[in-house]
Amino acid sequence: MRKYAVIYRSVLMENLQYTVNIILGFISYFLIIFVFINLWGYMYAQPGTRIAGYTKEQMIWYVMITEMVWFSAQSQVVSGQASVDIRGGNIAYLMNKPYHYTLYILTRYTGEWSIRLPVYAGLAAITGAAMVGTLPKFGLPAFFASAASILLGITINGVFKLCISLTSFWVEDAKPFQWLYNKLILIVGTVFPIEIFPEAARPILKLTPIYTVCYGPAKLAVDFHADMYFEILRAQILYLAAGVCLMFFIYGKGVKKLYVNGG
Amino acid sequence: MKVIEAENLSKTFRVKRKEKGMKGSIRAILRQQTEEIKAVSGVSFAVEEGEALAFIGPNGAGKSTTIKMLTGILYPDGGKASVLGIDPAKKRKQLAYQIGTVFGQKEQLWIHLTPYDNFRFFGAIYDIPDGEIEKRIGELSDIFELSGLINTPVRNLSLGQRIRCEIAASLLHRPKILFLDEPTIGLDPVVKENIRSLIRQMNREFHTTIFLTSHDIGDIEKLCMRVIIVNSGQIVLDDSMEHLKFIDDSLEEIIMKIYQEKGREQPAV
Repeated sequence: MRKYAVIYRSVLMENLQYTVNIILGFISYFLIIFVFINLWGYMYAQPGTRIAGYTKEQMIWYVMITEMVWFSAQSQVVSGQASVDIRGGNIAYLMNKPYHYTLYILTRYTGEWSIRLPVYAGLAAITGAAMVGTLPKFGLPAFFASAASILLGITINGVFKLCISLTSFWVEDAKPFQWLYNKLILIVGTVFPIEIFPEAARPILKLTPIYTVCYGPAKLAVDFHADMYFEILRAQILYLAAGVCLMFFIYGKGVKKLYVNGG
Repeated sequence: MKVIEAENLSKTFRVKRKEKGMKGSIRAILRQQTEEIKAVSGVSFAVEEGEALAFIGPNGAGKSTTIKMLTGILYPDGGKASVLGIDPAKKRKQLAYQIGTVFGQKEQLWIHLTPYDNFRFFGAIYDIPDGEIEKRIGELSDIFELSGLINTPVRNLSLGQRIRCEIAASLLHRPKILFLDEPTIGLDPVVKENIRSLIRQMNREFHTTIFLTSHDIGDIEKLCMRVIIVNSGQIVLDDSMEHLKFIDDSLEEIIMKIYQEKGREQPAV
């Protein structure tokens, strides 16, 4: 574990030099939130209206939390870098070290999001409190449950994105698959809660990463129930275990097919 | 004692082929054509402990593929490899603790960190205790004269300074074998000479076995005791430097003749 802790520390040291990039990301985040505050303000024109069981405040906080997860989990390491390493042959120079390549990449990813997440969380808290107001049912249990769920959700997101990147052992370019996954999470997952979709579509959506990456953590923050927490936690643990097994399986198979240009 | 043994080592790659022009591109979508390229074909050799071996050949001869099989990066299709008694394909991680690699065209250092932070990082990767890391950084810093640049981010170092740091980083865990793939590529003559003397020093003082590939005759002549020349995936010469000196031709002429004897129709692998 010590070596992964050192990789993590090195990524933190490296990323602290890019604080300007993180701050520039705030502008995009703030613009999206501003659009949704106005959009939902129009949809909830009548006071006391509920849409799919959500009040206006819950709906806006839901989007703010899912967008916070989305922006924090943006990573070139799991999506682009791993693919480039495999296709360009750089993986050869990373895998002859005494660590597991996939865990090395995931540790770097963790180093990246663990700088961004607290910063975006602070920004979300300030923007939400100033423009929407606090959530009535949000207490310490909801805080701890949603915080744990966010950490698991971001990790699941990284594992699945890395699984997609690892398909570069076989396909010429994994970018189209990354694009589909990103759009699924961004358009379907971050903007609307699952309850907004037709009843027939909900069980299917619950099987997608949307449920464990976006919906679960945000739902716990805006409408916390202990039994729901355990249901989401169970789904996240199962998803993470399946994702990690899939990641090791793809890597194990792929690395035997590795073709590296030499000189 | 033999530290590297390769017996009939072979590796074949399947490379995509496409007919020229737009028609060829459309046909390639419907029916992919591939061709098998034999990168390494039945290579056998052994390296003694403390030996400095030059493993050379023209581009596409199979040098890098052989190094990658010996370091566990590529799985051989045929034959056997044993490095320090370990099968590289089966126990790559275990082997990684005992070998060092420097690829002149690839950086292993984190460019935004200083050499010191990089050394700390590599020390932890190789499970070296904290106190011991500091001691070894001090030693290598003296040998490689790094004290003036150890706290400068790697991205701000010159190529020669970076290569010195790369070699120092790869020696931090005191490897028994050092694989060097064109370590002096792109360096000016003075820095080249400096790097060569450092490698020689490592070989003499720590009895580190050197496995070198290079297109630079100076590297080979000044560092190695033995030369293996590969071409089209096969060994075409395996001789000691001592013996080669008795041949009328210079080493450069011998190498040029061998390179020209066989075609280079295969793509680089």
